[in-house]
Amino acid sequence: MNDDQQTAEPKVPSRTIGFSVMSVVIVVVATFLYQQQVLRKPQTEQLAAIPLPGTLPGFLPEQWYLADDPLLGFVEIPAGSFTMGSNPALDRMAYQNERWSNTRRQGRVDLPRYYISRYETSVAQFAAYLNAIGEEAGEVPLTGPADLPVTYITWPEALAYTRWLDAQLRESLDTPTELKSFLEAGGRVTLPSEAEWEKAARGTEGQVFPWRNAAAEEVANFNGSRPRAVNALNCRVCAWGLSDMSGNVWEMTASPMQPYPFSDEDDMENLSEDAIWIMRGGSFADGLANIRAAVRGGVDPGVRNIAIGFRIAISAR
Amino acid sequence: MATLAQSKHKQPSRQSGSPERGASLGNFKFPACLTAGLLLLAFTPRVQGNEALTLSFFGAAAALAIWQVYQALMVRQNGESYGFNIVLRPQHYIQMFIQFSVYLYWGYHWNPVYEHMLLLAAQVLFAFGFDILLSWSRKRDYTLGFGPIPIIFSTNLFLWFRDDWFYLQFMMIAVGFMGKEYVRWNREGRNVHIFNPSAFALGIFSLLLIVTNTTSLTWGQEIASTLTLAPNIYTFLFLIGLVVMYFFSITLVAGMAAITLFGLSALYSATAGVPYFIDSDIPAAVFLGLHLLVTDPSTSPRTPLGKMFFGMLYGIGVFALYTVLAAFGAPTFYDKLLCVPLLNLSVIAIDRMVRSIDSKAVLNLWNDSWFGGRANLAHMSLWVVVFALMSMQGKTDGRHTGDSLPFWEQACAVGKANSCERLVQLQTTYCVDNAGWACNELGAVYREGVIVEKDEAMAIRYFSQSCELKFQAGCTNLLAEDRIARADPRSLDLRLLLREGSRNLLDWSEDELYARACEHDWAFACNNTRANI
Repeated sequence: MNDDQQTAEPKVPSRTIGFSVMSVVIVVVATFLYQQQVLRKPQTEQLAAIPLPGTLPGFLPEQWYLADDPLLGFVEIPAGSFTMGSNPALDRMAYQNERWSNTRRQGRVDLPRYYISRYETSVAQFAAYLNAIGEEAGEVPLTGPADLPVTYITWPEALAYTRWLDAQLRESLDTPTELKSFLEAGGRVTLPSEAEWEKAARGTEGQVFPWRNAAAEEVANFNGSRPRAVNALNCRVCAWGLSDMSGNVWEMTASPMQPYPFSDEDDMENLSEDAIWIMRGGSFADGLANIRAAVRGGVDPGVRNIAIGFRIAISAR
Repeated sequence: MATLAQSKHKQPSRQSGSPERGASLGNFKFPACLTAGLLLLAFTPRVQGNEALTLSFFGAAAALAIWQVYQALMVRQNGESYGFNIVLRPQHYIQMFIQFSVYLYWGYHWNPVYEHMLLLAAQVLFAFGFDILLSWSRKRDYTLGFGPIPIIFSTNLFLWFRDDWFYLQFMMIAVGFMGKEYVRWNREGRNVHIFNPSAFALGIFSLLLIVTNTTSLTWGQEIASTLTLAPNIYTFLFLIGLVVMYFFSITLVAGMAAITLFGLSALYSATAGVPYFIDSDIPAAVFLGLHLLVTDPSTSPRTPLGKMFFGMLYGIGVFALYTVLAAFGAPTFYDKLLCVPLLNLSVIAIDRMVRSIDSKAVLNLWNDSWFGGRANLAHMSLWVVVFALMSMQGKTDGRHTGDSLPFWEQACAVGKANSCERLVQLQTTYCVDNAGWACNELGAVYREGVIVEKDEAMAIRYFSQSCELKFQAGCTNLLAEDRIARADPRSLDLRLLLREGSRNLLDWSEDELYARACEHDWAFACNNTRANI
């Protein structure tokens, strides 16, 4: 090999540069992954709150949009018995699953005192709850008018709302004394049982609808195409003065779908069956037969539907 | 270990003649074609379906193109260009076929593998382009063969990034090739790379993913757990492993690693009364790793005894890392990846240790002279016997003790080591897969606060999930905080709970389900089965 050939040998670049480039790539990836970790951490404080109106006629924004009345919209249902189920002789629209037993058409159920909300739970109330716990609306559409009933709620989500409201009412200094005493005596905010719901809807004497002498079209939202505001109508002719116990949206209860006779004590039976929970009251989309006070609908606990919402109760059961 | 400073002054050995003075840019056609191929793949529907993936492809192609332009300018400036030496090495193309057969078999039973094939092809194009340019930038001809393909296939058998972060996959490939080129040492008078290229990239990225807790950006967990969806995967891996063993004499490494792992696993099981790995004596992905990841001849010891040590250390490393990773709350599937670079680093020490043994009998252990020059065949025969014995004892394919949830419930009840953690881990897996029963059990575990810290919020979360899956006990548990309702799994739950690492049993009849549930020691199922007889 002569000198010319030796000088022609290329000078191989140092590995230090390549090693440095590789190190830089690794550091860049590490930094990027670290940023991804930070970005992917749940940061509830950064979630934009669901917009809520400063005022909503008939409701108290400072009290989680509960109704503006002395008991925050809760109506006391006194202790005592009521007639449950349907008698086809008196109600020709009755379904078979409303029959009390093989031998009896209707039954009497005794309930202790409890409170039930005058109105169905509204969009504003549910949005206030989500804002308070820092969660997004997810699959629950909360962009509509704040006084509409909240729908597309699953059964566990409805119960989560009641647990949260229970804690707020216990802690708040503004909770009416009557409610606070009831809560301290063992009551809790929850969904009404099927019996609690039915007693509240039809009174103690087993009337077919919440009202006795009124045209259904004037007091209930049914055979229609959309829900209306939860306080659109104060039904003075209805049992206990409650609104929309018939129609507007189906209301989920805390009772599993089981054949009558009704009893709280058999709720823990048949746990191996698929869960179906009772919903009551019919909806804006139903006909007259389905908005009767005794109608028993069933809801899959994971289902979301525009026609299904809920109403809360304070119960000592 | 050779330092970077030492290697920096060393001239790499040239495989071809001197550079061509004043050569044309004709050699750039090939990398340009590879780049164009990568760019074309970016316009396929699979890639266009995700914006980040498309941009990843464009980015990788742009990086290669810019580098080519730079190299071309350097050629013009210096008048030196480099070309190709075509060398087809069996260790490359045989490995390639073997790895590809794994993809075919696994993908037949887990569809995402087939959906990944196009991305695999893109990585191969990128790898060739990158490796060529790396070689030319080091002023030497490129040895063109199948070399980059086994590196890409091997990497992707263990880890790939999700579409939204696929640019990291290209970076991982780049790091693997740079590691091969720039992290080197002198071993037995030759300047060689220290790390197995795919294991190096996998090791570095695994570490980063663990430290930053970003494993969810990858398919790593799914990859590790879906191999068993392919029936008889252990037998399949064993058979293809024999091919590699026959051609490349890796039997001592792979066999010793497997025997060590099986041994340690059996020892633990005998002592603690529960399996070490949850549902296998050696996870299928580890079995794959010890055949196709740790066995690179150029980064493992050369002597038979050294190979045995190397394999044994891999087994011990995987065994130890499984516990260490679990203790830090990191995904345990990284166990098989993290220890390979460490083992590569120990190769010189292992060779040195073996040479220091002052005993010819030990040094000649397993040597050719023992077997009339057919040592590898003898090693393979022994491995076949060992695998057959393990299979006959149900330690490979087929049902494993840890597949049974009642087994873990009973083990937890009597306080056997780690059994409660494993039980919670299994229930979590099944709950994530939408088994309502498992979610309710998890909720109960958190409400009770006996085997995990009491956490009512977590309990409510799991009960809610169980309830939304129509599991009635989960719903009733939401109604009162002082209540824990439980129920037997429904047939829908059993279709998940009894799958034994394989597919969900969606098409099984109820009788078949209950029969298998009874085999898993579900008492209610045995009663049901008897009632049906």
